[in-house]
Amino acid sequence: MLSRVADSIFWVARYMERTNGMLRLLRTSYISSQDEIKDFSWRPILNHYGDEEIRFNNEHDESINIIHHLLLDKENDSSVLNNITRARENARAVQDHITKEVWQSLNDFYHLIRSENTSRLIHHEDIQGALDALISQGWLYYGVVDTTMARGNGFSFLSLGKFMERALLSTDSLSIKLEEIKLYTDHSLEIPALRYLLYSLSGYELFLKTNKGNFKSDLVFQQIILNANFPHSIIYCLTRISRYIHRLRPESTPEAFEQLDYLSGKLINNVKYSSIDIQKGPELEKLLEDTRNGLFEITHALNKFYFGHF
Amino acid sequence: MNESSMLSKYLTYPGVWDEMFDLQGIRPGYQKLVSFIESLSKEEMSHKVELAKKIFMSQGVTFTVYSSGEGIEKIFPFDIIPRLIEASEWHLIESGIKQRLKALNVFLNDIYHDQYIIKDGIIPLKLIYSCPGFIREMMNLKVPHDIYTHISGIDLIRDPYGEFYVLEDNLRTPSGVSYMLENRSITYRIFPDLLPKIRVKSVKDYPDVLLRNLISLANRQTSDPTVVLLTPGIYNSAYFEHTTLARLMGIELVESNDLIVDNHHVYMKTVHGLKPVDVIYRRVDDEYLDPLVFRRDSMLGVAGLYGAYRLGNVAIVNALGNGVADDKAIYSYVPEMIKYYLNETPILKNVPTYPMEQIEHRQHVFEHMRSMVIKKTNESGGYGMLIGNSATDQQLIDFKAAIEADPRSFIAQPIINLSSVPCYIDERLQARRVDLRPYALYGPDGIDIIPGGLTRVALKEGSLVVNSSQGGGSKDTWVLDE
Repeated sequence: MLSRVADSIFWVARYMERTNGMLRLLRTSYISSQDEIKDFSWRPILNHYGDEEIRFNNEHDESINIIHHLLLDKENDSSVLNNITRARENARAVQDHITKEVWQSLNDFYHLIRSENTSRLIHHEDIQGALDALISQGWLYYGVVDTTMARGNGFSFLSLGKFMERALLSTDSLSIKLEEIKLYTDHSLEIPALRYLLYSLSGYELFLKTNKGNFKSDLVFQQIILNANFPHSIIYCLTRISRYIHRLRPESTPEAFEQLDYLSGKLINNVKYSSIDIQKGPELEKLLEDTRNGLFEITHALNKFYFGHF
Repeated sequence: MNESSMLSKYLTYPGVWDEMFDLQGIRPGYQKLVSFIESLSKEEMSHKVELAKKIFMSQGVTFTVYSSGEGIEKIFPFDIIPRLIEASEWHLIESGIKQRLKALNVFLNDIYHDQYIIKDGIIPLKLIYSCPGFIREMMNLKVPHDIYTHISGIDLIRDPYGEFYVLEDNLRTPSGVSYMLENRSITYRIFPDLLPKIRVKSVKDYPDVLLRNLISLANRQTSDPTVVLLTPGIYNSAYFEHTTLARLMGIELVESNDLIVDNHHVYMKTVHGLKPVDVIYRRVDDEYLDPLVFRRDSMLGVAGLYGAYRLGNVAIVNALGNGVADDKAIYSYVPEMIKYYLNETPILKNVPTYPMEQIEHRQHVFEHMRSMVIKKTNESGGYGMLIGNSATDQQLIDFKAAIEADPRSFIAQPIINLSSVPCYIDERLQARRVDLRPYALYGPDGIDIIPGGLTRVALKEGSLVVNSSQGGGSKDTWVLDE
């Protein structure tokens, strides 16, 4: 496989995972903005995904404008529209390495988010309906990848991109929440923001079943960092990354494999053998920071050994 | 014919060969198609038009127009009514193109080696050496199997008597073949069961035949040579075609940065290091291929590629320097080439062509400018062209001046009234002009012409210009089995 192709495929997956994460975050945020007015603020999301130049007068009753900005605004570099456009541009350059079905699902996604209908739903009718339609299209993409892509290099790079991005997303959203939680002094109380975080990671039901309704912040962090059965947990993503690094081994130079195997193994152990105690805020912050840096090191090694960016 | 039907309102142009109708009514080959269309209501037809659009859009069969920083997706306009070619007509086209390509290929080999055709006084030396497509670097370069024109698209038109003429030989990097394949995959969806019913020949062999030919050009002693398709990149208007062909053949689609030349061997950069490349099907023009030899400012080529090619370490398809054979001024000599090299009579006619270099032709053309098409010899795509009967007075004056300044760069041809076919436009059938570009593949085992081709349509009423850059569209082309 060409280095350029591997690079593009990796980024298709990253942009699509980012899109999926953002869409679900927007959906749960929008719902909570209508429901939990007291504790809700768009600020953390805007800080993360918005254009810093653009200010909104009132973050509470401007949901439509904010959603537009995060979802459809071409001027906002991190908007979902721009992510999908970039995923598609990358896919366009590697059309012969992804299946026709994958290309078409991306292409349909692009046409969907640019359609009049989506814009009309957002501005005049049913924001949640528009987000639901987009999220479904995203799931369609995952299903199509899973059922049509051969389990070769292309699939390995797609998977690496997906789990790298997902691990980063989970790490980042925990960091954001940790900031918010500092505002609360009593950690035994339920924090609504964490419930919404679980919603947007599809982890709420699992949480209820595992913890029998005991809604403590620590347990939420436990699940998102360490639960090996939760597909959005950091440890799950890291194990997957390591697995696809092994899958690439026959196609790798010995040096490349050794380096990546070392980096991913080190990171897994670091996460696995850390204690997660929300009372010890700084330690948790450091774990998240180390994880982020470990992921960057892996990306850097991929760039160097596989994608030809020296 | 049913009085209330769409066809009853169909008007043909006087003095133009209509592919569907003759004076007695519907031509025999079209009858089954017509009865199928007759059975459809206006709504059903419109639905089919919508369906075709939707399929093109969702498959990404689009070209992108970049304006104001944002890419706009456009569909290459497609008309749903297919154009039919009967078995006997196809037989003539096939044998005519084979004959022509054989002669053109010998001509290229001759021009770049012994130049007998110049020595025997058939074509003037000056004409060859003044041709921008003539590449001196190709002199005495041995190409595999002496084949230059691996892939060609010969443009054919029909005069008011139904006679086929060759309008242009595209021997460099003819495009459009993906539309031949895509159009077919759409017509069988919008006309279910119709293709088998009227026994239409399949076009799906094209990628297989092409891949077989490409593999046979590899020089290395290996059972598994590496064949790549070199594209200028995603901003090229034919990018869709490049990806389609690479996918259908299962070969790598590479950009110039993916290739590197080391010690006169070509390699591609993969995740596992460098991998040797044996055959390059390039969709990059000659002058951009190697910045060390041709245009220095080229970002689309690979430094050192020409050297590797010259030593036979890599095969390039089509060969470099083919432009000398499809130059519009050389075109008028093709019938003589066929006689000279093959000792045969040309099967397909040439459009009478007046090179402007000769003063008596120039005089004649200036007197009859209104009935002439004047073309620049080194341009294509409908650019640099004047159609006498629809030009303004000022354009005529401008062209006259340009011709007098540089007569070698112009030729003139009488306007041929292209044949027409029915198109479904604005909810009714309307006659529009078409040409036909069949695709020929020349391999070590001979020439294969895929039964079909690209029918290009001038969608503007009365227009004779079918190029996609000038408001043209396409139709599926159905070649009937005997």
